[in-house]
Amino acid sequence: MPKTAEILPGTLDMLILKAVSLKPLHGYGVLLRIRQISGDALHVPQGSLYPALYRLEHQGLIAAEWGQSDNNRRAKYYVLTTAGKRRLREETTGWNRLSTAIASALNATPEEV
Amino acid sequence: MLARLRSLARALFRRRNFESEMAEELRLHIDQYAADLMGDGVPPGEARRRARMELGGTNTIEEECRQSRGLNPFDELARQTRYAVRLLRKSPGFTITALLTIAVCMGANITIFAAVDAILLRPLPLANPDRLVLIYNTYPKAGVTRDGSSITNYYERRGKIPALSSISIYRIGTAIVGESRGAMRLPVMQVSPEFFRTVDTPPAFGRAFTDVETSYKTDNVVILSDSYWREHFEADPNVMGRVIRIDTFPKTVVGVLPPGFRFLSSDPEIFLPLASSLEERAANNRHSGGNVTQMVARLAPGFSLAQAQSQIDAQNAHLERGNPRAKMMAEAGFRSLVVPLRADHVASIKPALLLLAAGVLVLMLIAVANLSNLLLVRASSQAKEVAVRKALGATRGAIIRAVLVETVGISLAGSLLSLGVGAAGIRLLRLLGVSRLPMGTTISLDVTVAMASLLGAVLLGLALAVPVIFVHLRHAGDALRSETRSATAGRGTQFFRHAFVVVQVALAFMLLAGSGMLALSLRETLAVSPGFEATHVLTGQVSLVGGKYPGPESGLDFGERLTTMLEHEPGIASVGFSTNVPLSGNSGKSAATVVGHVFQPREAPRGHYSYGTGGDYFKAMGFQLVAGRPLTSEDSRRPQRVCVVDDDFAHYYWPGESALGHKLFMGATAQADNEAFTIVGVVKSVKQAGLTDEAAQGAVYYPYIHRADSNIYISVRALSSPEQLARTLERSVHEIDPELAVSDIRSMEQRIDESLTGRRSPAVLVESFAGIALFLTAIGTYGVLSYAVAQRRREIGVRMALGAQPRQIRNSVGGVTLRLFAAGSLLGIVDAWAMAKSMSAMLFHVTPFSLTVMTAATLAMALIGLAACAIPAWRAARISPSEALSEL
Repeated sequence: MPKTAEILPGTLDMLILKAVSLKPLHGYGVLLRIRQISGDALHVPQGSLYPALYRLEHQGLIAAEWGQSDNNRRAKYYVLTTAGKRRLREETTGWNRLSTAIASALNATPEEV
Repeated sequence: MLARLRSLARALFRRRNFESEMAEELRLHIDQYAADLMGDGVPPGEARRRARMELGGTNTIEEECRQSRGLNPFDELARQTRYAVRLLRKSPGFTITALLTIAVCMGANITIFAAVDAILLRPLPLANPDRLVLIYNTYPKAGVTRDGSSITNYYERRGKIPALSSISIYRIGTAIVGESRGAMRLPVMQVSPEFFRTVDTPPAFGRAFTDVETSYKTDNVVILSDSYWREHFEADPNVMGRVIRIDTFPKTVVGVLPPGFRFLSSDPEIFLPLASSLEERAANNRHSGGNVTQMVARLAPGFSLAQAQSQIDAQNAHLERGNPRAKMMAEAGFRSLVVPLRADHVASIKPALLLLAAGVLVLMLIAVANLSNLLLVRASSQAKEVAVRKALGATRGAIIRAVLVETVGISLAGSLLSLGVGAAGIRLLRLLGVSRLPMGTTISLDVTVAMASLLGAVLLGLALAVPVIFVHLRHAGDALRSETRSATAGRGTQFFRHAFVVVQVALAFMLLAGSGMLALSLRETLAVSPGFEATHVLTGQVSLVGGKYPGPESGLDFGERLTTMLEHEPGIASVGFSTNVPLSGNSGKSAATVVGHVFQPREAPRGHYSYGTGGDYFKAMGFQLVAGRPLTSEDSRRPQRVCVVDDDFAHYYWPGESALGHKLFMGATAQADNEAFTIVGVVKSVKQAGLTDEAAQGAVYYPYIHRADSNIYISVRALSSPEQLARTLERSVHEIDPELAVSDIRSMEQRIDESLTGRRSPAVLVESFAGIALFLTAIGTYGVLSYAVAQRRREIGVRMALGAQPRQIRNSVGGVTLRLFAAGSLLGIVDAWAMAKSMSAMLFHVTPFSLTVMTAATLAMALIGLAACAIPAWRAARISPSEALSEL
């Protein structure tokens, strides 16, 4: 099993939005998708997944509809709304700017100072 | 923001769905995870356990999900409501008393508020109604306070008064509508062409009247009300040009009004042009208003009522310069008054309505005092429980919230019941005949009223919570000790309780005294003799319409034929007819010129009630002859002109002398000698306008032929109950002329009764308020006293053990009651006096501070006090010392 990382505080919402932006997913699917797209590096704490989903639905960033799961059970699927798409774009830009900044900060050498 | 509200609302209103879907979602998660684990080779039992463990406690997750949706405050409220309901169900006595108190008192408030709203507050259903004014002529020094406006006034003012953008005249009346078979008498309104512009409500389709249509030859058009159009033309859009018969004449439909149009209290079905002849518009008819034609106008933008008044005054002054009778009019105090339309229309009932509003608010205050006391008593017994909750960590906020949920909840529940009581109250108003009062038909229980009552309920709940919260927060700390073990009540709560009793007693006293004075005043009014024998008289109105009645002779012929025909019917003693009857609601006064009367300086000419009579009018109405002879039907046929006057008239012109043989002219000017009427009889004065009408205005009765009118009243004196003769009357009229109809058929007793509506309904309502108030006061006092006795059990026990007699214990309970009631009654006397002064305008022959009423009210309060303390005092005296002490 490869080494997994804890999810940074505040990034769970962004990851959920990203996961459902690829394809409508039910709760467990979100969990698996995040693990998959992070190269099995990020494990979402299962207890905080559902409160986060309900919060995002309440904020109108994702919408829920009932559908059939792979093994033919009724499941609640989440899809990204227009407001969610906008938010994901903003968060992605923000995150990229931040991570570039942090990376360049951490790569600094004595000569550059 | 909107998305969140929508999501919260969805979760709230489909709560069961929300919960089950959430559970299903979590179950699916566990199952899928377990399945994946089993796929990795984990044994089934172990897989499920691990899946469940990794997800964490479903309860916690569900709670967090609910929180994400903003559901928590609602869950908390629901929990507290359930708790409050449980508590209230444990004390059904308190709950039922509180609910009924709120239901009855708020219901009374709803009833009166509905009346106030309809009559004083709700805007008239016309555009910018507050810019509409009424203009009427007044001759106060001649005893004629209102004379409407004349047709001449209208043509002289039209377009000449810059402060008024539009001026119209109208008449409200009835007409026979339809073909002779299905003809009905319906309310109609005659209006001048720009009337619909003045009230700013153009016809929904078709057109308004034109100037051409104000002449008698060319006025054959009508405008229909929406309801008439729907009912009789099935809302046919091609109704224009159709012909309907009004008073037998064919008229062409030219317009239909929008739905819901009503003008003040009138709800006419048909609108006709107000036609007039050139003679009626001439300057010498400027003062012939006669209170039949009314003038309504709209203030021009930027102009005030005062400006309109001064422009009217200036025009009057200018026009009267050319009037030979100007001096006389000026001496009569002639003026044309400009008044706000609505305020003027409801002026007569506004004082009564405000009195009722005050009364019903007092009732509400009593209810609040009463409920506060019940809640305080309850709060004291809950003190221990609150202390325990506090000790277990309940915050101040939580305790306050719990109290608020309880009081607001109970007052909301009570207010729902009160809507039913309010609806019943409005029905009672109808039974009392309120629909006959100005705007009375518009009283209804509508959304405004219902919303106001719900708002009122929330405010009531908040107000009721205050003393309870105060007690809880203040005493909860030491409640575990003080309320259970100490022998007497905490001073603070006892003060509150006693203060509320005193306030209740004072307010109830006030209502009781007020209702007593109104009742006394009503009794005084009922004791007034109308001046004639009103029993067994039936009266009805006939309008001589159609082409068959061109002049006075034809009217006289009709009246005499009808009289003769009716006289031969069984059960009829005598029959007469006249141009008006007392208390009919239309009282036309006009001038008479007495030969030889010399006007004193500053003496104004007087307006007298004037009637044209025929048949045995005096006998049929039961007038009392004082001197001379009554008029008979022959007087209309003889060349000699004679008349009869009443007591007031005779005393005014010939004090201490006989009026017989004196002469007078009809109208304000002396004429040729052969036009003079010789007085041949004097009758006792009758109440013409109402039983409380005390102005000695004087009346003159002429033979019908000399003062004819196309509206005549038939008076029939029956041998027994007059109501049975209504059919006979209608049948006889139809036999003479099938086109005619009899309207306004009422016995004279009924007319007297209806003239008292404005006095009787406030009296009955205030009496019922007082009744409720007394009952509430008795209940409230009883509640407080029995609680006090229960609480003082140990103290009383100790006293009795030390030798106190049961009588002494009884007296001590009675003493407290006595002191509270004495204080309350004293306060009440002051209140009642203040109130009586403000309602003196509504009292008839009753002084504002009536000793009889005050004494009676004091006695009644003493009885209520006695009743309230009897059971608690008896219970206190029966406390057994050994039992009470063993509880220590």
